[in-house]
Parts: sequence; structure tokens; C-alpha cells
Amino acid sequence: MSDLVGGALVVLGCALAALSGIGQVRFGDLFTRMHMATKPATLGILLVAVGAMFRIEGSGAVTLLLLIIILQFVTGPVSAHLVGRAAHRHGDWDREHAVVDELAEVDEL
Amino acid sequence: MILVALVLVTVGGAGFLYRLVRGPTLADRIVSLDGLLTVIVTAILAWSAYHRDGTYLTLGVVVALVAFLGTSAFARFVEGRRR
Repeated sequence: MSDLVGGALVVLGCALAALSGIGQVRFGDLFTRMHMATKPATLGILLVAVGAMFRIEGSGAVTLLLLIIILQFVTGPVSAHLVGRAAHRHGDWDREHAVVDELAEVDEL
Repeated sequence: MILVALVLVTVGGAGFLYRLVRGPTLADRIVSLDGLLTVIVTAILAWSAYHRDGTYLTLGVVVALVAFLGTSAFARFVEGRRR
């Protein structure tokens, strides 16, 4: 039973990774692609790591998996934010199709 | 069942690799490199789950750390570059 649950969670997380890879090919703008790329960085890793916890025995493995989850949850949004701000300041994005640009009002550079 | 997951991870990695090669700007390449490393961590975890072996989980921690440090360093580099 726990094998089935673990396998299902791993498949779900990997499906998220596949979806984000497809999104990288299909989406046309930097920020839409970033939106697609940052989903498996937190949710996908969480699903796969919890699924792996069901299948791997030993407390050391669970500790490492928890470490990976915490690390990814702390660093993933931060690095995405850094790249997004750098691209916005540099002008590497689709300004014409943007509905709202709140960062331009705050960020004077 | 987990073999299906490994195939799915390969599809995701191929998408990120395509954007890494094609991506018109440097920021696109940074985003896709970060995503590719995330997909690699996912693949390491799925591989460990498939073999029920926790030996390579340390590698996952290291790759996750390198992904963060590399991405933030590249982001600073893009920000400092002249328009």
C-alpha cells in the first residue's frame, strides 16, 4: 500500500516536471516561462521527495529528503525573484503584452 | 510505475534543454538552467525511489545548493551588465 502511494506521488511530481518542460517550449515570454519553471521547483520536488520517503527505508534517507525539501522551499522563490528582477531591470521581457507593471512604479533605475 | 516517472522527467529535461539552446536572451538561459538543475534533482530523487537506495540523496542536496548559488550569481551578473 505504501509502495503504491509513494509511486503515485513520484509519478505526480515527475509529471509536473514534464509539464514545465513542455511549457518551456510552448510559452513565448520570459515571465510566463518562469511561471512554468518555478512550479516543479517547489511542488514537484515536495511530491517526489515525500513519495521517496514512502519507498526508502532508514532515518538517514528521510533526513536528507527533508533537507532537500527545506532547501528548495527556501532558495527556489529567492532565486526566481532575483532572476525576475534582473530581467525586468534589463528589459528582457515582453513589455507590450503586459497588462500591469507594478515594479516599474516602485523600482527606479 | 516509477519507470513512467523517469520517462516524464526526461521529457521535462528535454524541454528545458531546448530553451537553454534556443533562448533569445541571457535571462531565458538562466531560467532554463535553473529549471534544468531542478529537474535533475527530481530525477535523482525518482531514481533513488525506484531503486530504494538512499546513497545518492546527498547528491540531490548538493545539486540543489549549486542551482541556487549559480542562479543568484548569474542574476547579479545580468543586473550589472550594461543595457
